[in-house]
Amino acid sequence: MRVRPLPLAVLALLWAGAAQAQVRSVEVRAPRAFGYFLGDLVRAQVDIVVDAGFSLQAASLPQPGPQAYWLDLRDLRVADLGPEKTSEGEARRVRLFLTYQNFYAALDVRALEIPGFAVTFENVGVHGATTATAQVPAWSFTISPLREVVPPTRENPVDYMRPDGRVAAVDAGPLWWGAGGFASLALLALAGVARDRAWGPFRTRRGRPFGAALAQLRRLRRAPDAEAAYGEALLALHRGLDATDGRRVLADDLPGFLARHPAYRPDAGALGNLLGASRLAFFGPGLAAARAALPWPALEALARRLAAIERAA
Amino acid sequence: MNETRPGDAMLTDWRQAAVRFERAVSGAVVGQDRAIRLLTIAIFARGHVLLEGDVGVGKTTLLRAVARALGGAYERVEGTVDMMPTDLVYHTYLAEDGRPRVEPGPVLRRAEDLSIFFFNEINRARPQVHSLLLRLMAERSLTAFNREYRFPNLQVFADRNRVEREETFELPAAARDRFLMEIGLEAPRDAESRRALVFDPRFHDTDALIDGIAADVLDHAAIPGIARAIQHGVQASPAIETYVVGLWEALVRPGGAGIRLSGIDMDALVQGGASPRGVAFLVRAAKVRAWLENRTFLVPEDIRAVFPDVMAHRVFLEPVYEMRRATIVPDLCRAVFDTVPAP
Repeated sequence: MRVRPLPLAVLALLWAGAAQAQVRSVEVRAPRAFGYFLGDLVRAQVDIVVDAGFSLQAASLPQPGPQAYWLDLRDLRVADLGPEKTSEGEARRVRLFLTYQNFYAALDVRALEIPGFAVTFENVGVHGATTATAQVPAWSFTISPLREVVPPTRENPVDYMRPDGRVAAVDAGPLWWGAGGFASLALLALAGVARDRAWGPFRTRRGRPFGAALAQLRRLRRAPDAEAAYGEALLALHRGLDATDGRRVLADDLPGFLARHPAYRPDAGALGNLLGASRLAFFGPGLAAARAALPWPALEALARRLAAIERAA
Repeated sequence: MNETRPGDAMLTDWRQAAVRFERAVSGAVVGQDRAIRLLTIAIFARGHVLLEGDVGVGKTTLLRAVARALGGAYERVEGTVDMMPTDLVYHTYLAEDGRPRVEPGPVLRRAEDLSIFFFNEINRARPQVHSLLLRLMAERSLTAFNREYRFPNLQVFADRNRVEREETFELPAAARDRFLMEIGLEAPRDAESRRALVFDPRFHDTDALIDGIAADVLDHAAIPGIARAIQHGVQASPAIETYVVGLWEALVRPGGAGIRLSGIDMDALVQGGASPRGVAFLVRAAKVRAWLENRTFLVPEDIRAVFPDVMAHRVFLEPVYEMRRATIVPDLCRAVFDTVPAP
């Protein structure tokens, strides 16, 4: 491809002319230039006005961190204040908020200089990128010592210390009241849980199923229909056995029942008769055969003995 | 048996025969008294039995012992992946004269006389074979060679091992439901039986062991008749009917019956199953147990004795719980019996 020297030369001239005007002004402002002490935050605001189309290269900004042995850059924020009209045409104002911290322990009043830095702007166009550098100048502030260099002599070295601050005595009364109130609430809640779970004093005595069965037998003794009453009496004693064991006790389960509840062992024979009679009554020939095998007085005597063992247990 | 004797005496004679049968089998298979009792019940209830257990606990030996003591024709097949239903019915081969021949297979070979058909490792056979078994088990008949074969005395015994899952086919629910019992077999727990099984040379040679059993202790041809007599002879009172229906309801809807098992949502545990056929089987087996215990009426203990083996495999759990079936179902059965009032 044939090179055309003229347009390139024109472009270079244009670029060179533009470069001078790209950064229009750099201005550093600080709230005050004096009255700083050891550890104070030193704030500054840098306004940079550039030609329209340029934007800040964030990578060119100083990194927060130690800047010198006595100076840290704590924070840096950038605000783009946008385009503004000036007499020389469209421009753009970028404002940097810098927060330094001073660690210089001064013995007398002296001026310190915060170093300057350069910030790069770039303009990306169709023909490529153009960069411009804004040089932020160094600026200084004055710091003051915290105390006299040579204080007046004291007898007691403790006197060099400032006296302790006085603290008002706190009234603990309301706290005690609050603690007491919440403790009693907790006890109430514990009582509720204990009642729900049947702990401690709320563990009521175990039900007395055989006692209930005996009571029912006494009621049934006066029933007119003796045959049906006998069946109900057998059922009542069955329910007593079931409730005592926590499961359904069949005739074949008697040895297991006696192993789990040894108190009833003396009545093993009578219990066997009862279960045999119940078998005859409900599953076999009928109630009449059962009554012949285990008459009512024997049944009631057994119920009484079972209830007595249950009370004693 | 002597038909002129009164029914009660006949039942008594048969009870003694059943005891002799149990004794003969338990002479060869030690430490499995419960399984032998259940098998006896199944024989007199005319039900098919599926034995389940680990490898080498004696499933096959037990069934062979029962088959020998029971008498009658006995056929045995081994389930394999490539077995087809026709393999049970036909046997095709080239005869010595070079012509193809078709002959009856294991099921038909002994025809009407067949009393025990023993299906080893049933879960290795394909579902096609299972469905042939369905009809054989439910109707005791089979259509082949353009005619219908009937097997009035047939009982199907099957076994499967619980360990292997590869190349096996789960039995369909319909097939499992047709088995009267699914008996779980475990190696005996007591030290004496274990010592004997391991050190007594008598138990090492299975064939000799089986041959040592008195053959034909029971007259297999008469068993269907005696089974009917038992079912009529043992009475079920209204109380036991209520009890069985209560058990059934509690098994199918444990949440509603007030059963609680820890860590299980009782309302979403049982998906279905526990068919009416299953409950009818339960009562049939319980009646046989009552007869074996020398009673003329059913009691709740009879139901309880056969319940896990008759009912457990008919309950279908929600898929979430199916993998834990082996622990959940026994707990559920126990809880059902602890909950439903007996008389």
